Amino acid sequence: MLRFVASRLARALLTIAMVVTFAFVVLRLSGDPAQIIMGADAPPEAIAAFRSAWRLDEPIWVQYLSYFWAILQGDLGRSMRDGRDAIVLVAERIPATLALTVPALLVKIGLGIPAGIYAALHRNSLADRLVMVLAVAGFTVPSFVLGLLLVLIFAVQLGWLPSGGQEGWRHAILPVVTLGLGGAAVLARFTRSAMLEVLGQPYIRTASAKGVPWRAVVTGHALPNAAIPTVTIIGFMVGSLIAGAVVVESVFSWPGVGRLMVVAVANRDLAVVQCILLLVAMTMVMANLVVDILYGLLDPRLRSGTRRAG
Amino acid sequence: MPEAPLTLPALAPPKPPRAKLPPLVVLGAVWLAAMLGIALLADVIAPHGYTALDLRNRLAPPAPFGGTWLHPLGTDELGRDVLARLIYSIRMSLLIAFGATIIGAVIGTSLGFLAAHFRGLVEQGVLTLVDFSASIPFLILALAVLAFFGNSLVLLVCLLGLHAWERYARIARGLALAAGAQGYAAAVRGLGASPWRIYGRHVLPNIASTLIVSMTLAFPEVILLESGLSFLGLGVQPPETSLGSMVGYGREYLTRAPWILLAPAASIVLTTLSVSLIGDWLRDRLDPTLR
Repeated sequence: MLRFVASRLARALLTIAMVVTFAFVVLRLSGDPAQIIMGADAPPEAIAAFRSAWRLDEPIWVQYLSYFWAILQGDLGRSMRDGRDAIVLVAERIPATLALTVPALLVKIGLGIPAGIYAALHRNSLADRLVMVLAVAGFTVPSFVLGLLLVLIFAVQLGWLPSGGQEGWRHAILPVVTLGLGGAAVLARFTRSAMLEVLGQPYIRTASAKGVPWRAVVTGHALPNAAIPTVTIIGFMVGSLIAGAVVVESVFSWPGVGRLMVVAVANRDLAVVQCILLLVAMTMVMANLVVDILYGLLDPRLRSGTRRAG
Repeated sequence: MPEAPLTLPALAPPKPPRAKLPPLVVLGAVWLAAMLGIALLADVIAPHGYTALDLRNRLAPPAPFGGTWLHPLGTDELGRDVLARLIYSIRMSLLIAFGATIIGAVIGTSLGFLAAHFRGLVEQGVLTLVDFSASIPFLILALAVLAFFGNSLVLLVCLLGLHAWERYARIARGLALAAGAQGYAAAVRGLGASPWRIYGRHVLPNIASTLIVSMTLAFPEVILLESGLSFLGLGVQPPETSLGSMVGYGREYLTRAPWILLAPAASIVLTTLSVSLIGDWLRDRLDPTLR
């Protein structure tokens, strides 16, 4: 097991190193970083200072290594909007984003998994059809359309809830519902197909045939096995807790990481963009790592190193 | 000589009995055909230019709600005709989605074939890239690239083309490896065919149905991505217009003129829904490997 964890950890670190490399390459490909980050009409002394700080006159591999080193020390550059450290700027926004994405994750799990299980257990029933239609709708309605429709109904027409901003919990309801409904649809669809696949397995038939009550077959045999693929998608959702609300935050003017990202991209505030990119990749990689280890715990076959295909 | 009854199971799967088309799939196909027709004939059917201003009819509601039939779907703040903008937006969004889907399929399939053909280091390299692109949410990656390189239509299409490439790569590699183990690929190779010929003329046609299904499933995702980026103001730039940027623009007038936003929003939803329905149906019928 230790070996398994170590190999997964090495893989995670490799992926993070690749993301850093990607950011480096993209920054270099896009032109002279000094010009881009300082702006075209920066005074020559400022450009020169920047060049020596970033070691832009050294060979490219020295630049690469010092870039890596700076990032390891948490030095992700300064925002060119107000000169503050990019990492501080981003860290300030994380609580606001989590205030949306964590409740939304609970909505997704609380709605999506039961709906998926119920639909699978009552295959082709009216409820199953309804769940599937809603699940497809949840996937095809973009979050900004859903969000704006909710605003139109509950804020503009009925006047029950505020349409944007972040003054209290009432402001969080519409964004959380928007995020949660879309994710619940994905999760319901996924859980349903995982359950259907498990229910078709021979061991379910065996358990039924030897007289185990259906309820015990479902709780004792079907659910634990269907949990394995479902954990993956939940892991992905946990990994996108920080990045998953880019569009929804913009719809509801919610001052989170996603909103910061959009503003930074529009202003070409590259230090901030790069900081968010790395942060998001790290969260994602961490979540994948945890999922991989959970997999190892849930399914001993995977520990031996031969992963199932697909 | 009778036709050789040499049916290799992998080559010629028995056709499933022709089932009746589900009505929803038919509706989806009709809607999609209508969208394609609108996109192709945009210049002919659009009642006005998409940047033409009609300053005397600003924020006019749609005709059935008290507007004029001059602007059947109403106008926006600058007096631009919503119907005309909708038609050109449909064309732009479909153009981007088609372009990006094809780019993604070509890149992914080529890399998958390369991995399957050379194995070894090339394969490891491709698989590492696959892992990498699975590790960052695509929207964040796209936003970062747009921040670094600025925005242009060509870049946007290429960028969206990178979406889902890893899915095609994985499928193409897996299926090409499987094909390599089957008689026909070995036979053609034995006859001295070049790799181009083997993969282009023999392997590709045999795995095409799976790839087409993947493309149908990726297509609505590309539409959603493009409309999301354009909604944020970071995708298609004015004066060009796409469904997402129309919604983004209309958002400012949500209370006074919801029609600016509702028409493109409905178009996005119905189009992605149609393609998804068709894709799901195709997958169930054509593709034994995904399910």
